[in-house]
Amino acid sequence: MPSAEDIKQRIEAAIPGARADVEDYTGGGDHFRASVTAPAFDGLSRIQQHRLVYAVFGAEIGGAIHALALKTDTPSKIQTN
Amino acid sequence: MPSSQSEPLPMSASQPAVAPAPSAESNPIRDAIAEAINEHKVILFMKGTPEAPACGFSARTVAALQALDAPFAAVDVLPDPRIRQELSAISDWPTIPQLFVDGELLGGCDIVIEMYESGELAQALL
Repeated sequence: MPSAEDIKQRIEAAIPGARADVEDYTGGGDHFRASVTAPAFDGLSRIQQHRLVYAVFGAEIGGAIHALALKTDTPSKIQTN
Repeated sequence: MPSSQSEPLPMSASQPAVAPAPSAESNPIRDAIAEAINEHKVILFMKGTPEAPACGFSARTVAALQALDAPFAAVDVLPDPRIRQELSAISDWPTIPQLFVDGELLGGCDIVIEMYESGELAQALL
């Protein structure tokens, strides 16, 4: 059963320059909420950004990981906020 | 022991083997899903029904559409696990719900809610 820290490390390891904040919002190890910022998202649609993150986990999404709620951003967008 | 005079197996060698299982190209469920996506301007694949959503993510997505008074078709993926499997194969999206507008995946719950809050959803549904 993955922990929020596992999920964070896997996202950051798989997507260059990514920073992730991950929360296990039920405490059960299968429902996570992640906020991910990565330069790799630049120029991508939100759908494509989310697909990049989902791709880190493959078939685990919908399997061991029941839910991975996502919020994605690019670093430049954060700075202007 | 069967008799040594048993008849040769019928249809052996001289006949083609029994018809193979339906080929990979024949996929009625995937075809039906693709057709539904193309036939409806706004279609939501969800767990449960708009009246009785079976998952919080599906419920939130329905609520956003209803808040905009947007008409939409809805498909419950729960009755047959193959629906979800084939849908994800078409959309390259692993989770439910999935909202399609004009034949394209708009997003799952997170994106739909973000777009609702920013006003983009209302624009997309015009």
